[in-house]
Amino acid sequence: MKTTNMVENIVNRLINFLYTCLFLTICSGNLFAQEATSLEGEFKTGPAIILICLLVTFILVGIFNRAKDTSTYWAAGRKISPIGAGMAIASNWMSAASFLGMAAIMYGAGYHGLAYVVGWTGGYVLLLILMAGQIRRYGKYTAADFIGDRYYSQGLRAYGAGLAIFISFSYCVGQFAGIGLMFKWILGIDYTWAVIIGASVVLTYTLISGMLGVTKNMQIQYVIIIISFLIPLFILGYKFGYFYMLPQIGYGKVVTDIINGIAPGKGITAMGHSFGILPSPEFAMPWDPATGQTAFQWIAICFSLMIGTAGLPHVIQRFYVVPRANDARWSVVWGLFFICILYWSAPVYSAFGKVLSANPEVGKLAKDAIVVYTAQLGSVYPLIVGFLAAGAVSAAFSTVSGLLVAGASAFSHDLYYRVINPKADERTQMLMARIGTILMAAGVAIVALANLGLIAQLVAVAFSLAGCTIFPLFLLGIWWSGSNRAGAWGGLIAGSTVSIIALVYFVASKFGGTLPAMEFVTYYLNAWYFAIFGAPLAIAANIIVSKLSKEDTPLEIKKFLAEKVHNYKVEETE
Amino acid sequence: MSQKDQYEVNFFKPLTPHARANKRLIISLAVIWAVGVFGFQILLMVFNQPTPEENYTKFEAVWPTVVEDSSAAIELKQDFARVILAVLGKNIAVKDGHKATLKKALSWAVYSMQDDSTKTIFLNEPNNESVKIAAASIGLATEGIDKLMLDLLPFSLTKIEHEGMCSKCTTSIPEIMKLYLVHNQSGLTKFRFLGFPFHYWYTAQFLLIMFVLLCLVYAKVIDKMNVKHDFVEEI
Repeated sequence: MKTTNMVENIVNRLINFLYTCLFLTICSGNLFAQEATSLEGEFKTGPAIILICLLVTFILVGIFNRAKDTSTYWAAGRKISPIGAGMAIASNWMSAASFLGMAAIMYGAGYHGLAYVVGWTGGYVLLLILMAGQIRRYGKYTAADFIGDRYYSQGLRAYGAGLAIFISFSYCVGQFAGIGLMFKWILGIDYTWAVIIGASVVLTYTLISGMLGVTKNMQIQYVIIIISFLIPLFILGYKFGYFYMLPQIGYGKVVTDIINGIAPGKGITAMGHSFGILPSPEFAMPWDPATGQTAFQWIAICFSLMIGTAGLPHVIQRFYVVPRANDARWSVVWGLFFICILYWSAPVYSAFGKVLSANPEVGKLAKDAIVVYTAQLGSVYPLIVGFLAAGAVSAAFSTVSGLLVAGASAFSHDLYYRVINPKADERTQMLMARIGTILMAAGVAIVALANLGLIAQLVAVAFSLAGCTIFPLFLLGIWWSGSNRAGAWGGLIAGSTVSIIALVYFVASKFGGTLPAMEFVTYYLNAWYFAIFGAPLAIAANIIVSKLSKEDTPLEIKKFLAEKVHNYKVEETE
Repeated sequence: MSQKDQYEVNFFKPLTPHARANKRLIISLAVIWAVGVFGFQILLMVFNQPTPEENYTKFEAVWPTVVEDSSAAIELKQDFARVILAVLGKNIAVKDGHKATLKKALSWAVYSMQDDSTKTIFLNEPNNESVKIAAASIGLATEGIDKLMLDLLPFSLTKIEHEGMCSKCTTSIPEIMKLYLVHNQSGLTKFRFLGFPFHYWYTAQFLLIMFVLLCLVYAKVIDKMNVKHDFVEEI
């Protein structure tokens, strides 16, 4: 007890020291003020100190809350309150794709980008009303655990674990690339080193802390993410004469101004250009021909992201960390609310970014960094821009840590312990979880280093993949006891086939290959939204094969589902 | 009903009062959710009409004369040049290939407005002098929206290689203009709410509010439903 208090004291002092450093850095911010006008390039001292302070804080919190056994590692000992779990859900969810990518999509494709905003939030309604409480009541640690037990098949468990790893992996690559982009911006270093350093840090604290540390970190990260994201918006609104008290409302006028055009006179950008833009209705009008996007694509992306949200292993896994099913539901409500605070705000960056980068002298900007560039171009104080970039890193970190835990759990618990070595003790399982984390992080870093330019694509692929495979298994597994092992295989094969076709055509189109009906398939089964057809097909296949097969779901599974998950009170009879 | 049947779980055939109430709740919320998200987008699709920007109307008025008659009135060419600048000002929305075509057409329009003494300047790579002459020829002022076009001009001129408008320009410019200057609009996009075009506010803000409310309603109702039906959740 005494030792714990001592450690707590030391950690608190260290955290205080770091925040003192941060405060001194902010006070001496004028030293770094010249950094405002350079969009890229040199080492940015102030932002770097902020980033280092944040990362050290995360690691210290991780050390202090480190996992002591597998239960803690996987499910945080189920000691998290609904609001805390909601913050963790939000932080886990708000990745580099939300923080950086969403504004980037709207910046480039206008209204089309809103499909991502709606898709990445609307899926939580499905998740809540169809799954959250039931998943918690089922009482499993991982998605593969549920699949293996519900469908009484080791093969399906292994397949589910493989899928969980692949989905988490795909998702992580985009996040690592986002981390690399921000480390590159802050440290002024090469992208390769930026990814390596970022990957090492995120790996270190995931390994040290496990999910309990990660959950605690996620709560801290949420606060940092949201504050860092919001502050520049108030400043931009104030600076350019819009309703800055609530920039999420104030930017409505910016959108209308972009449509009608803004004559110079509202202010000057950091690069000395007038705040103005020629009429650009394509920014806000639905499925504008100039964006090359159609209404079908909007709906398909939105639907796929929603379905994918309810099938992502690392999202589903969050419901295991709350004490009760009721808490699982309320954690979704809180989580969605916390997520929406960022999602209501992200379009503000795209709107201001559109105007601030309108001058051709600004040149072609990397869309994925438009959030940071917008703050820079809007002459936001450099340290606040640095804090914004550090927030972006936090967003990516919080998601990556959750993904690494989900991937490692699938590797250690579902593949190694449940399939390969059922006699493995806790210590061995823990070791395997850590080895899994290291292997996955290394693999992701290698792919991210290849700089394939597929950041947003890989994230969207992960959603469609989850929507085609895991979502149908959970949906039918929970709500229909008639769905059996054969049906699960049928659905998985159908969903996986659609996924493979979409990915093969995607790869072929990327590398200039030609396949039959290329244009047709790449449009209707595009890699970002193939779940629009894949998910319904997988559900239909699961139902049809279950009906056709003569096998019945074992009584003990039906009983568990009825009594424990749905609380049917059945009286025992002879 | 056999004991085995009593363990059957089927969302559409609920066996307990709690399950029936839960089914009704889920279906109600799912319908609101689906109609709210996809119904509105379908409504947008139905009402959308291709609506040209003012610049497109201007383009349609001057294009036949400008493309067919290189000696068309200067005012027409000025309007033509302004329309091209308005499209180039859309910046990232414009594809690189289209930008190149538009730049050639703009440079030709400016070139064709010159007398012999200034024409030669445009046969070389653009410089400060040619930009200045071009601005004067188009009649760009130094304030208002014109100032933005003035800023754009140095990046929008290119060396003249043909006496007439390039053949690619004559064939592709109408399509390019249509692509960038005609937009899907309707009453839902023209109506303003809190400063937003209504459809934008609905999608970017209202839908998110609706999602949070749906979740809140579900969590509240299910809590009450559990108490009412004596539904004990924990394992």
